[in-house]
Amino acid sequence: MASGITAERLSKTFRVKVRDPGLGGALRALVRPRYRDVHAVREVTFRIEPGEIVGFLGPNGAGKTTTLKMLTGLLHPTGGRVEVAGFVPWTGGPAFKRRIALVLGNRQQLVWDLPPEETFQLNRAIYDVPEADYRERLAELVALLQLSEVLEKPVRQLSLGERMKCELAAALLHRPPILFLDEPTLGLDVTAQEAIRGFLAAYRERHGATVLLTSHYMQDVTALASRVLIINRGRLLYDGGLDALVARIARTKRIELVLGDGATAEALAAFGELKSFRFPNAVLEVPREEAAATSARLLAALPVADLSIEDLPIEDVIRRAFTHGVEEDDA
Amino acid sequence: MSRAARWVRRYGALIRNAWLVDLQYRASITLWLLWGVTEPAVALGIWWTIAGDGPVAGYARADFARYFFALMLVNQLTIAWDSWYLDSWIREGELNFRLARPLHPAHEAVAENIAYKARTAGMILVVWLLVALAWPAVRLPLQPGRWALTALAVLLAAAMRFFISFTTGLLAFWTTRATAIMDLHAGVSLFLSGRIAPLALLPPAVAGAAAWLWFPYMLAFPVEVLTGAAHGAALGHGFAGQVVWLGVWIAGYRLAWSRGIKRYGAVGG
Repeated sequence: MASGITAERLSKTFRVKVRDPGLGGALRALVRPRYRDVHAVREVTFRIEPGEIVGFLGPNGAGKTTTLKMLTGLLHPTGGRVEVAGFVPWTGGPAFKRRIALVLGNRQQLVWDLPPEETFQLNRAIYDVPEADYRERLAELVALLQLSEVLEKPVRQLSLGERMKCELAAALLHRPPILFLDEPTLGLDVTAQEAIRGFLAAYRERHGATVLLTSHYMQDVTALASRVLIINRGRLLYDGGLDALVARIARTKRIELVLGDGATAEALAAFGELKSFRFPNAVLEVPREEAAATSARLLAALPVADLSIEDLPIEDVIRRAFTHGVEEDDA
Repeated sequence: MSRAARWVRRYGALIRNAWLVDLQYRASITLWLLWGVTEPAVALGIWWTIAGDGPVAGYARADFARYFFALMLVNQLTIAWDSWYLDSWIREGELNFRLARPLHPAHEAVAENIAYKARTAGMILVVWLLVALAWPAVRLPLQPGRWALTALAVLLAAAMRFFISFTTGLLAFWTTRATAIMDLHAGVSLFLSGRIAPLALLPPAVAGAAAWLWFPYMLAFPVEVLTGAAHGAALGHGFAGQVVWLGVWIAGYRLAWSRGIKRYGAVGG
């Protein structure tokens, strides 16, 4: 059965009650309630092929989680069409739900007072996983996620990173072909983030799962996904490769310099936009096509100990996409 | 594995987890149990005193004792806390992962009910048996027919109270006051379901109004089946009332669920 994801002109509008501040506002809202339409997702269209891993990026409130909840059948869309693994999510029923996993970084399904293995056993029963398969999959997940030390501790005694690893294990015991991961590394320290990323890459490699991943951490996306969807204010701004996004948005390059004695900020500013200067280090930003020529001129004109040309950090590229739109630098 | 075996395993796992969590909260479970015993015990104390001068509306002291001991047991076997759980699931986004599983969230609630009732009612039954050894007034005759009818009445009442609580909890899809509505319902039921006094003692106008609502079938009727106060035509009338009101609340639940789930804002991002 196909494990692709298709969304066509997908939209979700929430009707929210608006209220003026203070007691008067509360009373007025009681007598004459006022409502406002919030367009959380507007006509979003994309297709994810089976086995693909796609990063879903956007600032807070952009519509990422709302889209994810429509794709998993938790929310009914106001308009548009969705097909996930051949099912319409909100009418797919148990057969559809067996084919997906939803991991929400800010909500947990682990039973707080019990060791994680109790939740695993519960999911085994809920998803009808045969005993032999359960043992085999649990052993694999325990090895990949390094969980052997934590299986018997109550969840409330686990660190945030250990809890997220267990959340992933609980969500994957029924071996779903499609994974929806909403901020799986939220709040984790760098080591735990890397462990989760390593696991997701290994899991996808082994089982060929389709993955849609939202994250605030660019490293999650750059490490795992070659394709990204960028959404802001409910609209899909970009759908394509990360490299292409950088080429499209980042019309500048950074020249990172280690300077010798005598080089000044004033002298550097003549070569491009000086982004930082802390002797002996400096960073210049110059138009992409002039980077090589400017570097040659810098080497000739100033005492330079070291020089490297870099693309803009991906965080900067994404931030520009969020704030100015993807087409900005093409204009 | 057969379909039935799968459901037995699912319910077994859910009930097991509920009991394991209970074991972590032994003190609060004991307090809830005491609360469940205290209210009927206080009511019994009051009516015991009042009936000192002779029977009230046909209830002598021993009748009150049997009524409130039966009430204690039936209440624990039929009580439902689901509106509070559902309200928090909906408002705090905990419904999300439950909706993403191939198991309707109502099954988890039913399993919780079974786990709670088996544990608490079991303890109350033991307490009752110990009290009955020393106090003949609270003894009930061993009539299999009556116990079978009681089991049926309790099952219907438990199902009805479950659907009332679950449906009221579903109002959290629309309002942040779902538990307040449930509190109001509990307040009214204190009088109309027979928790504070047998319905025969209510003023005729109030008893008349109660007869048109579901409250007597939640508690008073199964209690009267157990004590033997309900017999003949009253039995038929009581079971019919239970079936009708159970049907009404199931219809209400289905409507609230299908409408509410479409409205669900899925809190949390």
